[in-house]
Amino acid sequence: MTKVVIIDEDDKICAHVVSHTGAEHRRLANLVMLQALEQAGLSFDEISYVIATGYGRINVPFADRQITELTCHARGIASFFPGVRLAIDIGGQDAKGLKIKDGRLIDFVMNDKCAAGTGRFLEVIAAALGLKVEDLGEISLKSTKKVSISSTCTVFAEMEVIARLSEGVLLEDVVAGLHDANANRVARMVRRLKVEPDVVFTGGVAKNTGMIKALQDNLKCEVFVPEDPLLSGAIGAAILAREQTLEAMKKGELVQRGERRLEEATFFK
Amino acid sequence: MSWYMGIDIGSESSKGVITNDGDLKARHLLPSGSNYRLTAEQLREELLARMNLSPEDITCTVATGQGSGNVSFSNQQVTDIRCCAKGINHIFPSVRTVIDVQGRSSQVIRLNERGQVINFSVSEKCAAGSGRFLHVIANVLQVKLEDIGPLSLKSENPVTFTTGCAVFGESEAITRVAEGIPKEDILAGVHKALADKVSALIDRVGLEEQCAISSGGGLNIGLIKSIEERLGVPLMVPPEPQFVTALGAAVIAAVEQAGKK
Repeated sequence: MTKVVIIDEDDKICAHVVSHTGAEHRRLANLVMLQALEQAGLSFDEISYVIATGYGRINVPFADRQITELTCHARGIASFFPGVRLAIDIGGQDAKGLKIKDGRLIDFVMNDKCAAGTGRFLEVIAAALGLKVEDLGEISLKSTKKVSISSTCTVFAEMEVIARLSEGVLLEDVVAGLHDANANRVARMVRRLKVEPDVVFTGGVAKNTGMIKALQDNLKCEVFVPEDPLLSGAIGAAILAREQTLEAMKKGELVQRGERRLEEATFFK
Repeated sequence: MSWYMGIDIGSESSKGVITNDGDLKARHLLPSGSNYRLTAEQLREELLARMNLSPEDITCTVATGQGSGNVSFSNQQVTDIRCCAKGINHIFPSVRTVIDVQGRSSQVIRLNERGQVINFSVSEKCAAGSGRFLHVIANVLQVKLEDIGPLSLKSENPVTFTTGCAVFGESEAITRVAEGIPKEDILAGVHKALADKVSALIDRVGLEEQCAISSGGGLNIGLIKSIEERLGVPLMVPPEPQFVTALGAAVIAAVEQAGKK
């Protein structure tokens, strides 16, 4: 997903747009930007500073600077939860644990090599069961007796699910077991950072209420989720952009902008 | 005349053999299905019928594999690692390392001249470390499993799989197909990726020649070549690699019996 957030000098959000990145949209980050400008009622020149982040951050020709998603996430999350010590971000392709102190990133762990423990795990299982991925969480919460599912491999978990269902196990108990397996995988990864409260959960998978519960059960502590868990990276980038602008102003200088081109990214040149 | 039976109930397929004086007399393979108990009974029935024997004629039966607990007629259960070592030792006495690539896991076993296990390492429960990865990619490419090995050998430009996960690997394969990459290059790439996982298992226990391959992986010439290339040593391939572990079970049955006398 591509997300654009515009904030004012008081960190108030003036516009936010979330759109599928897809194969073509990656080239078209400028269109998402235009939507956000329209929402805020601003022209592009009025934006003091633009920071791009995420996997596709180099494909944003109108950005003044690129900053890694880890730094931006940490900054964004700390803006809504100042007491955050551990952030767990689970997206469609990877999962990250961020250790944060006083709003700054001090360590991280990451899994981008294995589908287990990421949103992809849930997508594969939803497809196998003929369910919508956004319905999985609610279904899992109906369970009173979750079954145990292997947490180490998506492919084998998918086979296990079909076997359990053919044995007559209830769908909600299987789905609850899957959330537990996926959360268990993530919990084992983030324990390397030593879990301390507050724990905050972000990324697209944080919209899944079943995963929130499963993470709480596995980590044995409360897990906070921001109002829009997809936006924390973009919000962090915007806050960093504002800080950079204010710093320059304090020195009585104008912030150094990049060579902005509000057009589609070009590849393969 | 003493007859012995070995039954290997695997995750994908179940294998049974009958031996006599150390010679393999009958073998049979069935899909494991969802009722292992029934599959084991069917294996026994078929094997006995072929040899014109009755259940009482079998002196001792050893069961092995992940479903060995479901073989109600067995006299003993033995791990598939021990059976595989014994089986390969029976076929190739000079082998000291056997690479066992099964449907849902892989293992590397070091053994001595008597077929006893010295050390072993087993893959995690990870599809990318087992024959399942090959199934997944063969399915994407719509190539029959038995054809993927020979087809992969035609490749001149194997693709590189970046993640070591069968799910992400499946997406990568689809992307490569969309880019117009030939099937053989994608297949050669998946064999290489699996060979890398096998190689990581070997790093844990060490490699001593001679080296052999067993189970379903031993039927795939593409995988054999990839592992040979990765390790830099030739692999000995038994004539029917899927039956090595069941044969080992029957050999152990005979040894146990001899010990009792």
